[in-house]
Amino acid sequence: MSKLKLLALPLALLLVYAIKPYYGGEISMKLNEPTSFTLNTANYSNLILYSLIYENFFYLQKDGAITTHVFEDYRYDAGGRTLILTIKDNLSFSNGKPLSAKNIQVSLKMFLGANLFAASKLNRLIKNIRADENQIRIELLADDPAILSLMTAPELVVLAENEQSFSGPFYPEEWEKGSHLILKANPFYTGGRTYLDAVKIVFSDDVVPDVFLSSPKSLKENYQEFDSGIYQNIYLCFLQGDIGQNTKIALYTLMKKFNEVTGFKYKELRTLTSDEESPVSIQIKTISPQKTASILKSSDIKLYILASLSYLEKDLTAFLKGSNLKIETLFIDDSQMMNFLNSTAIKYVLIDKIFQTKIAAEEKISRILKESSFNQFNVKYLRMLGELDEVKYSNSQELLMEQIARISETIINDGFIFPLFQKTYSMYIHHVWQGVEVDYYGRPLLQKARKTND
Amino acid sequence: MKKAAQRSWIKALDSKFIICSKKQNNFRICYKALTLSLLILLSYPAFSFPQSSAESLVQEGADHLQVFFQNKAASRTAVVQFENDSELTDLAMQKIYQLLMARLENEKNIRVSDLLVHFTNGRGEFNLSNVAELDYLLYLKFIQNKTKTGLGLAVFSRWQDKLVSIKYIETHLGKDEMDFLNSKNFAFPEMGFSKLTEFETKKNLMDIQSISSADAQTRYFFYYPDEIIIYLAKEGRLEKQSSCQLKWTRPLYPVLNYQGKLLVFAFKQDLVLTAGGNFSPVAQVLTFSNNQWLETAKIGFVPFKQVLFNQNPYLVGARYEEGKNYFKDKVYFMPFTDPAANSEIVEKKSRPAYAIDFSVQEGQLQGVHLIDREYTYHLLTSDLAEKNPGTAKKGASLAASEGDWLAVSDYSRQTDQLFFYDIKAGGLRPVYTGKIAGEVQFITAGTWQAVKGFWVCVQVPQDDAGRSVLQFWGKPQ
Repeated sequence: MSKLKLLALPLALLLVYAIKPYYGGEISMKLNEPTSFTLNTANYSNLILYSLIYENFFYLQKDGAITTHVFEDYRYDAGGRTLILTIKDNLSFSNGKPLSAKNIQVSLKMFLGANLFAASKLNRLIKNIRADENQIRIELLADDPAILSLMTAPELVVLAENEQSFSGPFYPEEWEKGSHLILKANPFYTGGRTYLDAVKIVFSDDVVPDVFLSSPKSLKENYQEFDSGIYQNIYLCFLQGDIGQNTKIALYTLMKKFNEVTGFKYKELRTLTSDEESPVSIQIKTISPQKTASILKSSDIKLYILASLSYLEKDLTAFLKGSNLKIETLFIDDSQMMNFLNSTAIKYVLIDKIFQTKIAAEEKISRILKESSFNQFNVKYLRMLGELDEVKYSNSQELLMEQIARISETIINDGFIFPLFQKTYSMYIHHVWQGVEVDYYGRPLLQKARKTND
Repeated sequence: MKKAAQRSWIKALDSKFIICSKKQNNFRICYKALTLSLLILLSYPAFSFPQSSAESLVQEGADHLQVFFQNKAASRTAVVQFENDSELTDLAMQKIYQLLMARLENEKNIRVSDLLVHFTNGRGEFNLSNVAELDYLLYLKFIQNKTKTGLGLAVFSRWQDKLVSIKYIETHLGKDEMDFLNSKNFAFPEMGFSKLTEFETKKNLMDIQSISSADAQTRYFFYYPDEIIIYLAKEGRLEKQSSCQLKWTRPLYPVLNYQGKLLVFAFKQDLVLTAGGNFSPVAQVLTFSNNQWLETAKIGFVPFKQVLFNQNPYLVGARYEEGKNYFKDKVYFMPFTDPAANSEIVEKKSRPAYAIDFSVQEGQLQGVHLIDREYTYHLLTSDLAEKNPGTAKKGASLAASEGDWLAVSDYSRQTDQLFFYDIKAGGLRPVYTGKIAGEVQFITAGTWQAVKGFWVCVQVPQDDAGRSVLQFWGKPQ
């Protein structure tokens, strides 16, 4: 090795450690285009995008540590069965409006009202929530010191009254539909202003982004892979009891065909969670294309698709058009789903859910039952969830698997949800970026992100 | 053993002429030339000087250099190699080196730079990153024979690319003097800056100021984001006396790294302090009244110093880019006539900077020192006119001690160090370097036990929890 090369190495190391972090710069991320800035964490892409503009109450780090940027102090008073959260002084939303204990109280209540399994678990524990000057006191029905871990759900975020205010490290500045979204650094970010000035979310493949999602182990030169064990399941749901079995199977067959003609972008899913961990395998027999066409040709189907799957729109529309079937696709924001259920006779819905491999199977099956049964949720399911909870504490893996199998069978036999596809994801970050941490849910924390040579 | 040493010198003799025709900054090679010269000199008793102490040995070396440089103007010079072949310890060598530096600093024709990082295993380690800015390089070697100790000194001209002067001085150093030199508690009176004390400090310390009261007691004000803790110095330690809680109001910009400046001064009958930082657009003015600190005003910039313009007191300072780690591109002046009132602020354009300080002599603003966001040092006049843009990269912290000294950190995180400059003549003359085991967070001028110098807050790298230590570097008079 020449002397020059020998010298270059320590010099490069020296430059890495320039004395102060450089403030400025922009990182680009390839994510799916959102439909709005209303919180929606249905898929991995959304989970990341919304984490950039909404601040979580608590973060769950990869090592299991719980951290927060919002609270100065948090403690559980066992005697009073109360979790006391003390908010930091003088916090503000991105537009400078005060971020108060009241905002925390309202945000928590909104989360508890959401159709989320994590919310229902927390809801069952909470007696009341009070907000003082700078404190939020969460009184529990029973002693549960582990309540904090339930508050690390990615959906539990700080919301403002005004839609133009954001609590996250960035806020939306410019949105060129179909092209990109610019997020600017929030000067009032509770965790401390990010080194970066901006994040550019790109929706197309025209430019090579600094951060993107792809299948695990897709060897990308100059990129570091973060495999957080995130996978996305897509299900076909039938929300009315009067849908015939043939129609269900025909629509299911059609969706499978769609995956085939678009190059098998998704793995076939034969369970409600993942094939590796489920005690049961679901076999739904598809029918021939002719039979599918004959069943569906006389139907007037409106297929609602969650906005988190909007990236399928182009391919799916083209596919359905080619099939000459009268199937209309309508994209609907996740947050509006429940309202639509009450006002419209929604029959067919394509939904997606993301899961983390590390999360226990019983947790996942509970989530599916709670979050994906929509208006079909009934006393029977509630009882099954209760039984699952009991089995969980019995410490019998065998009993637990049996209960999971029973729930899976019941759900499938009731016919309101058919598993379709699965896709696993890793996040890739270009090597020039340092200081990017990834949390338990596989979200990049960009607070201290900066370029290596800055 | 002696034969072996001689053999290595003879080897050096063989390669002498090849060496000096090589690159001008090839110190290892040039040193061989020096040892050869010393060998020659050793064999000529006429060059011996009957001296009796290390100090006179150094003085004689300095005298020789004075004669050599007498017809040369402001020659930029530094010792770049120093080796010890005597039984004196590394510590003794450092003292001898410091003594020589102190002598050379007083020579008007020499602009000496102190590049010594440390002296270990019989050899000095020098910071050679800026050698290209020097005119002359000095090579030193300490040698001991049966009865005497000698100092070999060679001057290499970078422009002529050759050795231009060689001197060997010999003297008898008695055992007592050797022991004296080797002892740890010894210091030459003109030694440079050294670390005089060190304290542990809690996280997020942003600045320290001190003020001496009529009872000759010195109070130290430690500035944290939410409080100022006041300590009283007692026999080499600090005793907490009181604290003052700081209440900030919106807009407040949460930061990843807190930075701020504190100013404490007596104004008429009151004690006034101002505290500002990178997390608030305003600085608080607090006045000590009825045994408590009361916020009396807010100022739209962070005051650094109190200065006089036309005999009127002004506050001068800068303003942080909100939430970030650098200053905006302006310097602010505000007449200060009443701690409870704001006056009109005058702003002057400078440049965005990681560090700024104002050198003030007897109330008069002498100059502005700043390090820009490219890590380049700039010296501005009191009118903020550029006086001396630097070329080499400097670290992101600096502080000026009145109009006398400037301390600057290094442009490195792993091997941080301090550079002390003499600014008395209005320029920037490097005089001393101090190694720092950690990363310098801030430097601020101050006093400790009547010694003027600099407080340096250091982040200790091996501790993830962010342990900070506070050091005081001073130059004993």
